[in-house]
Amino acid sequence: MNKALWAGLMLAILGSLAACQTGKDSAGPSPAPLALEGSAAPVPWKRYVVEPLGVRWPQTDWKSFNNLVQTASPPVGALPKIDGPIAGNAENGKKLVLDRSRGGGCITCHILGNTGSQPGNPGPDLSMIGAQRTPEWLFAQIWEPRLTNPQSFMPPWGTHGVFSVEEVRDMVAFLMTLKTPAEFKSDKENPNKRPAPVETRPNLDPTENPAAFIADKGAAAFRAAGPKGQACIDCHRDPAQAFAVWGAQMPSYEPRLDKVLGVEEFVTRHARATTGGEFPMQSETNLALAIYLRALANGQPIRVDTRSPGATAALARGQALMDKKVGQLNFSCRDCHDPERGGNHWFRGQYVSGLPNLLGHFPTWRTARGEVWDIRKRFQWCNVSVRANELPPDAREYGDIELALTTMNAGRKLSVPGIRH
Amino acid sequence: MADSIKVRAQMQGSGAEVRVLINHPMETGVRKDEKGAVVPAHFIQTLRITHNGNPVLESLWGVGISQNPYLRLKLASAKPGDKIGVAWEDNLGKKDATEVVVQ
Amino acid sequence: MLSQRRRVLRWGAGALLAGVAGLAMPLRLLAAEWKKSAFTARDPKAALTELGIGNYTESREVLLKAPDIAENGAVVPIEVTSLLPNTSEILIVGEKNPVPLVARFIINPGMAPEISLRMKMAETGKVRALVKSGGNYYSSAKEVKITIGGCGG
Repeated sequence: MNKALWAGLMLAILGSLAACQTGKDSAGPSPAPLALEGSAAPVPWKRYVVEPLGVRWPQTDWKSFNNLVQTASPPVGALPKIDGPIAGNAENGKKLVLDRSRGGGCITCHILGNTGSQPGNPGPDLSMIGAQRTPEWLFAQIWEPRLTNPQSFMPPWGTHGVFSVEEVRDMVAFLMTLKTPAEFKSDKENPNKRPAPVETRPNLDPTENPAAFIADKGAAAFRAAGPKGQACIDCHRDPAQAFAVWGAQMPSYEPRLDKVLGVEEFVTRHARATTGGEFPMQSETNLALAIYLRALANGQPIRVDTRSPGATAALARGQALMDKKVGQLNFSCRDCHDPERGGNHWFRGQYVSGLPNLLGHFPTWRTARGEVWDIRKRFQWCNVSVRANELPPDAREYGDIELALTTMNAGRKLSVPGIRH
Repeated sequence: MADSIKVRAQMQGSGAEVRVLINHPMETGVRKDEKGAVVPAHFIQTLRITHNGNPVLESLWGVGISQNPYLRLKLASAKPGDKIGVAWEDNLGKKDATEVVVQ
Repeated sequence: MLSQRRRVLRWGAGALLAGVAGLAMPLRLLAAEWKKSAFTARDPKAALTELGIGNYTESREVLLKAPDIAENGAVVPIEVTSLLPNTSEILIVGEKNPVPLVARFIINPGMAPEISLRMKMAETGKVRALVKSGGNYYSSAKEVKITIGGCGG
């Protein structure tokens, strides 16, 4: 190599070093460069349609119901006026209580004698309900359960327009036929005895977890030069050391944006401000970098800083949002995940975990979906499942909830990427 | 170039346990995409495991093998330092291969 | 047990090694051909017939491990072990799958007749394992229930 080339190379190296922040100045550590303008996710946000294994996202616009940013659901409703006794077509009612196409049907949360398979158990066993309640009581309970019990987390099927008067009458007619205790062929059919699924797959073993292939892409992306000619590695020269705990300390409140940033949004905004790389949230490279960086802190206890006034406020907002009823099914986070309500129960064949323990494995490989999800996609699917419009992944509300959820997981060890069904 | 295969071969008792994970969509040919068009079938049809160059397992697969195929098997006669090869080929003629050493 | 640090180092290390380990092995020397008629047959019996397997004997010496309940049909873990002498083939059939024949393994001496894999199941139904020993086929089957999801209909 000749001297001129050497000199040019040295200048290039010095130039690249000069572009990196040293991380310290007289006023203490300087904040990481972040692109403060613009969104970290595609604008406008467009809901997913179909996933690699064929799972389809519902495309209904639930704008007339609450979601995490808007309050639009109808108030607790009065019962419709019905002439004469409540009677209906029990046969059609039986179809409706098992119908999965409109929010899951009664069997998602209730044992219904020997009707249907794999009943759930967040709600009471209704096997004998026909001998215990009147048709009028049942109609009211289905139409608007909050009239009887303001604390009920059962969806207001009538008030929220899931079922018509006729349909609820049919369901009542069927429920009135239930007078025999359920008999289960085995404990595995019985949600009260079926053992909770335990995730034992060794998620950190690259021959077990398909997310290993995505982590490889993250390691490569970390070392690939961006549009400005530099790669992440040019400034973060020893990533194993530099990110030994970082992933376990995210999300964090970012005063310049007045919002909570998780690893994924941080990557988007930091790359945009430094290498010029454009990695929108939930894009393949964003997830790959998030897994790669977060996994460097594996084994570290989860510990987020909520001491600043901004972080304290975000945490309080997040905790409040976890109680907000959203969607046509009118469920809050806690309705489904608090063990006092739906958490640690079977929603039909699906076991819904309780809070906490929902976080230390994200981004996680989802075997049932054939892809990696960050925590924000998990929130989005939760929203859509309860028939609420989801938010873009970089929504401030999701950041607040992520912070609240992370504080509930404090001390648990990070293990990324996880594997879940 | 072997980007699609993760293999581990470890001594376990008197033989070696081999675990293989392959990055592959294993498309059945019936799934529909966002626009309603059928995603063409794309799946691994053959996979071979070799032990010091000799085939020990020859696999013929259909679309019923899960996305990102996983395989675990035992080689009774393998010793530390032996070479375990994994090679696959799919219905579109794509292929990949790699080799690891028993640990 | 590997140390946490070694585990961490493994993550993402593969990409750095890319290009080092490639080995182009031709796959044409397989002992048996991939038979399209068997791997597209819509019926379990027809698929086996296409492979020249007419009859099989139910046997307790074909051990089939599969979950009683699988949380999703996309990835159902299956383990087959043959206790029969001179096992030379293992076959997996998902009886309710649109394409029932899942896999055929031809085993050469040196490999223990024991294999684990992950298969798709379209719905609740039987998984059947067949084993070839001394020219005959032996089999066992197990019912796997695929769970039904909750609200997200």
